Amino acid sequence: MLESIITYSFFMQVFRMFTPYYLGASAATFSERSGVVNIAIEGFMIISAFSYAAITIATQNPYLGLIGGLIIGILFSLFFSLFTIKLKINQIVIGVGFNLLMAGLAKFLMLLFFHSSSNTPGYPHIPRLPFLKSIPMIGDLTGDSIIIFALLLVFISQTVLFKTRFGLRLRSVGENPEAAETLGIKVRLYKSGGVIICGLLASLGGIWLASNQGSFSDGMVAGRGYIAIAAMIIGKWKPMNIFFACLMFAFFESLEIALQISGSGIPSQFVQMLPYLITILVLIGFVGKTKPPAADGIPY
Amino acid sequence: MTKKVKANILSTSISLVATIIILFVFLYLVGKDPFEVMQKMLTEVFGTGYGIGQAIFKATPLIICGCGLAFCFQASLFNIGAEGQLNLGVFVMSIVAYMFDDYLGIFILPIAVAIGFAVSAFWGFIPAYIKIKRGVSEVITTIMMNFISLALINYFLIEFLAVKSTVRTEKILDVINIPKLSVFSDYFEGSSANLTFFFAIALAAATYFIFYKTSFGYKLRAVGLNPKASRYLGINTNKMTIIAFMIGAGITSLVGLNFVFGYKGYYEYGFSNNLGFTAIAVTLLAKNNPIGIIFTALLFGIMDYGGLSVNTLVPKEIMLVFQALVILSILSFDRIIKIYYLKEK
Repeated sequence: MLESIITYSFFMQVFRMFTPYYLGASAATFSERSGVVNIAIEGFMIISAFSYAAITIATQNPYLGLIGGLIIGILFSLFFSLFTIKLKINQIVIGVGFNLLMAGLAKFLMLLFFHSSSNTPGYPHIPRLPFLKSIPMIGDLTGDSIIIFALLLVFISQTVLFKTRFGLRLRSVGENPEAAETLGIKVRLYKSGGVIICGLLASLGGIWLASNQGSFSDGMVAGRGYIAIAAMIIGKWKPMNIFFACLMFAFFESLEIALQISGSGIPSQFVQMLPYLITILVLIGFVGKTKPPAADGIPY
Repeated sequence: MTKKVKANILSTSISLVATIIILFVFLYLVGKDPFEVMQKMLTEVFGTGYGIGQAIFKATPLIICGCGLAFCFQASLFNIGAEGQLNLGVFVMSIVAYMFDDYLGIFILPIAVAIGFAVSAFWGFIPAYIKIKRGVSEVITTIMMNFISLALINYFLIEFLAVKSTVRTEKILDVINIPKLSVFSDYFEGSSANLTFFFAIALAAATYFIFYKTSFGYKLRAVGLNPKASRYLGINTNKMTIIAFMIGAGITSLVGLNFVFGYKGYYEYGFSNNLGFTAIAVTLLAKNNPIGIIFTALLFGIMDYGGLSVNTLVPKEIMLVFQALVILSILSFDRIIKIYYLKEK
């Protein structure tokens, strides 16, 4: 039975599903490596997906939608750093508030602009890359600039975090801010940097979802922001490990869809809950120990 | 009145005013007349007994769930899993009720509620146990468990228990219903408000008593304020974590009284509509004080029904934005007042 599910198109699907997970998970990683817990990845994805949709519909230009969505993401991350870094409010509570705010805003504005509580009208997606889209077999993947970026991001984030001065300082701020400050590192600046990169990457994940689906619908992000955080935890805050965690979750999600279509009798709900179950098991310590950055979540 | 109490009142009122100002500006920016919206809302809610009844009906589960969350928050346990805990409890509660209502009649009510309470309490036990045994933050586990519980319910509902082509369970016998307020007074004619409201008030009073007048409540708050010092005082902090989480999660299941026994007569998938998250806002706004929760829940109930009533002018989802803004502004003004008024670091 498995052969009938694991096909060429299934393989392609896995890499498509991988993209928003990995963008969200690296977003969370940059923030947490700087010591700021951001559980609002879901909200960032929702609001930027909606912004992409609204701007693209208004201008009929997907590039403006892309830029607009990213700008909205940056604006919200600036707010987020104001609350968490400047005012030093509990990051988790702020994250809950942001998730409610961004999801609520998207719902409200969708009704206001498009008079629908379920979905927006259709809009063009981000154009495929020339040449790369016509590569045989994998053109569907390589033609998509955001998928390519997500795959490259594995190496980019590995390099930035572990091979550059910026990365070293970012991590030191997340591990021991007092020590970092005595070395002359501007702790809050680096934390804000982490939060802004986080907002940018999470927004890109949301934009990809919106562009890929062709119309924004309520609930389209569907918990991916939380799964991304789960992937970060399982991947132990390391880009390469997170890559495999996201690939695993993407596999589960594709499997869930395939099972639903094939009517195999295996309940899709159990596949659906697997990522969350695995995360809890990993946290308990069944699958190796996890250790977050030492000063993760502690305001400085 | 101590300076701390003054600070609490100050920050709550400033944040409410600030939220309303932000909301007014926002409505104005999107081309609506905020004063017209406000006026319509107030007349719709307070003009009729129906409006007041509906606001009460919406506030009832928020009071109950808020009291449950307060148990956790007082002990500094950030339970984000109320949504999953209450759904699982209410789901089991309604199944037990409709399966045995033929034999037991009205006596099934306390039995079903007790079983639902136990299920939710068990669901709260898991993150508490993982926290004390493995040091894992309850935030992550409760978020993950929300998804797990909803998927579980979805599975059992769709595969076995739902009435054909719906996402709800079978209806419970009418005799077991909790009477609506309209039975006692025609004033509330047509509204869904029921006696559960008074139960919720009693629950809040009892919770207040436990927090502030018993040694258990003292220990609970001590653990929340300073776990290390509490340990020196001989308080078993691990035990308190488990108890707070179990009682708190268990209480959230009691919202089933309002929805299942007081209103619909069955469990419906998605009935809670993010109740577990809205209750976080209600509880935070009340500073975890159960008496305060009654008032903040009523405010949210008014906003909730008020949002529906102005739906022709502006989408009712504006209330989602309002709730989020309340959370964010109360948190910021708390902090700002702490820095500039109480001169704390």
